[in-house]
Amino acid sequence: MSLLRLVDLSTDIALRRGAVHALDHVNLEVRQGETLGVVGESGSGKTMTVLSVMGLLPPGGRVVDGQILFDGRDLLAMAPEELRRVRGVEMGMVFQDPLTSLNPTMRIGAQVAEPLRVHQGVSKAEARERAVEILRRVGMPRPDKIVDDYPHQLSGGMRQRAVIAMALIRSPRLLIADEPTTALDVTTQRQILELIDDLRDEFKMAVILVTHDLGVIASRADRVAVMYAGRVVETATTEELFQAPRHRYTEALMHALPESAQGREGRLYSIPGLPPDLSQPLTGCRFAPRCRHVTDACRATDVPLVRAADDHLYACLHPVTEAVTFAPRGAGDPRPSGASDTLLSVRELVKEYDAGAKGRVSAVAGVSFEVRAGETLGIVGESGCGKSTVGRLVAGLEEPTGGQIVLDGTDIGRLDRRARRRMHREVQLMFQDSYAAMNPRMRIDGILTEPLEIQQVGDPAARRGRVTRLLDQVGLPTRALERYPHEFSGGQLQRIGLARSLALEPRLIVADEPVSALDVSIQAQVLNLMRDLQTELGLSYVFISHDLSVVDYMADRIAVMYLGKLVEIGPASQVVRAARHPYTQALIDAVPSPDPGHAPSRATAIRGELPSAIDPPTGCRFRTRCPLAQDVCATEPPLQGGPHQVACHFPLRPESAAARP
Amino acid sequence: MARYLLTRLGQALVIVILVTLITFVILHFLPGGAARAILGKEATLEQIAAFNHDMGYDRPLWEQYALYLQRLVRGDLGYSFQLNQSVAEAITQRLPKTMVLSLASTALAVVIAIPLGVVQAVRRNKWPDYTINALSLLAYATPIFFLGLMMIILFAQVWPVLPPEAPQGFTLGEVLADPAGLVLPTVTLAVLTVAVYSRYVRSSMVDNLNENYVRTARSKGLSEGRVIVGHTLRNGLFPVITLLGMYLPALFSGALVVERLFNYPGMGLLFWQSALKRDYPILLGVTLLISVATVLGALVADVLYAAVDPRVRLKASRS
Repeated sequence: MSLLRLVDLSTDIALRRGAVHALDHVNLEVRQGETLGVVGESGSGKTMTVLSVMGLLPPGGRVVDGQILFDGRDLLAMAPEELRRVRGVEMGMVFQDPLTSLNPTMRIGAQVAEPLRVHQGVSKAEARERAVEILRRVGMPRPDKIVDDYPHQLSGGMRQRAVIAMALIRSPRLLIADEPTTALDVTTQRQILELIDDLRDEFKMAVILVTHDLGVIASRADRVAVMYAGRVVETATTEELFQAPRHRYTEALMHALPESAQGREGRLYSIPGLPPDLSQPLTGCRFAPRCRHVTDACRATDVPLVRAADDHLYACLHPVTEAVTFAPRGAGDPRPSGASDTLLSVRELVKEYDAGAKGRVSAVAGVSFEVRAGETLGIVGESGCGKSTVGRLVAGLEEPTGGQIVLDGTDIGRLDRRARRRMHREVQLMFQDSYAAMNPRMRIDGILTEPLEIQQVGDPAARRGRVTRLLDQVGLPTRALERYPHEFSGGQLQRIGLARSLALEPRLIVADEPVSALDVSIQAQVLNLMRDLQTELGLSYVFISHDLSVVDYMADRIAVMYLGKLVEIGPASQVVRAARHPYTQALIDAVPSPDPGHAPSRATAIRGELPSAIDPPTGCRFRTRCPLAQDVCATEPPLQGGPHQVACHFPLRPESAAARP
Repeated sequence: MARYLLTRLGQALVIVILVTLITFVILHFLPGGAARAILGKEATLEQIAAFNHDMGYDRPLWEQYALYLQRLVRGDLGYSFQLNQSVAEAITQRLPKTMVLSLASTALAVVIAIPLGVVQAVRRNKWPDYTINALSLLAYATPIFFLGLMMIILFAQVWPVLPPEAPQGFTLGEVLADPAGLVLPTVTLAVLTVAVYSRYVRSSMVDNLNENYVRTARSKGLSEGRVIVGHTLRNGLFPVITLLGMYLPALFSGALVVERLFNYPGMGLLFWQSALKRDYPILLGVTLLISVATVLGALVADVLYAAVDPRVRLKASRS
């Protein structure tokens, strides 16, 4: 029986002139006790759908047509008072960013128990008791203490637990989770998703799980709705959707995942172009301009949802009929990389920050690795592991506290200022948020020319030619030079960021989360481009990311960091498929696989919180959370092995023969 | 926290000493000189030289300054020949009256400005916002003496409900015994402050209403009133605390005009009269007091901030 049904729901967001038609006749159904996954890229309308249900549309937002039937009652026809009760008692919502979704000056307990106080008139003392109880239920450590804490005293994962507790304290019948784990690390993501699963069964709730991550959907949802440009384009049971998707957009999304690249040298399928502008009138299939199978009929006629199977609807004139080969990529052959020279060699790198009276933050603690010419070294780890600090040290943005950075045989620390500056031409950075990294009042022309001017490369005419060539290399038209950063989309900005880092013809690019802010289809475009340029220019990359599947696709070798230490390094396929460190294995297991058949085992999950880097555990820093820890782990394990090294007293497996040269 | 306070007090001391130095130097380069002002036009050059020698005004400037600081440490602010009383005494007589005026007008301003700002933020870019905005701009742009004159004409002459002059009592008790006389000066001083405060409250509330935690609050099915008063207001009022600390000393310049206008014997009037008469010891003493008030105002605001914002509390105890 359906708990929530959306009938022809249309929502507009008013602009100064006209409106964005964010939702266009959306039909959806959520049944009691099931998890409906809503997946789509930014601008697809997935968040607007749930905000319409919750009545939390942004200023200017308005439901213009349709019905929202909750348990048979139309929410849109309800009096405001009654609507608030339904929202506050029968529904609960969990938001994307736990860091900002709690009131910073209100104690956790007061916030969590507020719905009870308001809607059920529960006394202060009882509310507190109920808050402690529900906090314990969502796995909050020491709930009787946390209840009196303020949000800033909690980590991101704990704050998200508090938000979930707040949604659950009213025992809602519907829980809406809008990208609940996007801002969290994978191991925390796993804990939160498992929690939502468990609670759904316990509270017999329906759950709407909104996400851009097909992996999250595959492992958690019973049914999936795929949205594109304000419309539902396909709905099916999760298994059916992943085994036999019908809509060409669904298919393209799956192909664009790094996991689906065929072989190590394979290019990712990338969806060309950008989603349509929803403030303009649109006819026909909205995906048509980007579709491989488009015909004139797609552009001319409105494509309705049709039934493929009992529980499978899609809106496509040329649906997928062939069987989809969607299998996670097996171990590829490692790329031949033995012959090339070492470009960068980092030895015993240390970086500490002063933290006042509390001591020093040990951000990087004795990290050594090498990067060969033309090679990509991926660095993975969760937030706070020091991977970005390593990147900044290598790029010369910060001075190391200790250790050596040897570039092309020269120890950078020994050079004088001038020589060091020249050396830094060889190493350039590429950022996660290119927009924030560009001066918004400079045109692209100026942004790309500036590094050339600072390093006094060529005369103005030569610089002009160089800049034009750069744009061409990253696949942007020359007229982009005259425009400002805000006129570009996220993917285009990453291209410009890449062009800027290429301007000085560096040999090494340190890319810090270069695709983390991009949608899957755009991510594929940028990853392909980075690979093409590597082949063409013989570049080396240090590719820093929290996303193992992206690093697995991009990197020749992978280094895994935990709390300032390198715990494992080796050929990418070995590290990902034959991990030797328990932390690496936990990280791999925590990544949700876009393969519904692949159930995550709960045995390897790590629990608890990352220790503080001010007073890190002695010996192996992972031992406080490691399932295998013994007394000997209090002594520091050396990084040892052949090409596939691990710093662990009890490696999970011996170095495989495949890793040896 | 104690360490934090000590550091801040140390910084404050340095700033106050610098202010005295600057004031001291500037006053001594002004034309005229104290001697002429005290001895009158008829005084001979010999009399002036003798006076300057007696007062130490013929010594090098740094020596005079050192002497001044020495006395200051002992609590001696100097002696005013024109008032025939010590500077400390002159100030202690008048300071309470100015404080009554400043505090009353600030309290009035805050009580009016917060609801105005909140209404503007909640109804932003609608007519209530535009109307209040226009009025507060008008108030902000109106010179305070003009505003005061209009008040007197309107409420003391055209519609005589209030006395045009402030209470003339000598002690604080006598002043407070005549509250009607305080109304016009207090309101005049408050109007300008309301304009400043309400703009801050508006922008801070607008920022806070766009925060994610407000959406979370709404998702609990809270009424709009509870969302605003229970969640947003506290966070939205933080800038006002800073402003209070920064603005309290600035009220003094308003008091200068208002006290003159309503003939209220406070610090403003004292400063005004002393400036006309070149009464240097008084001018120095008042300037010192204002600089101390400024620095303390900022300090009190920071401490207050730490008291109401749990995030700051933590940082303060760490450092």
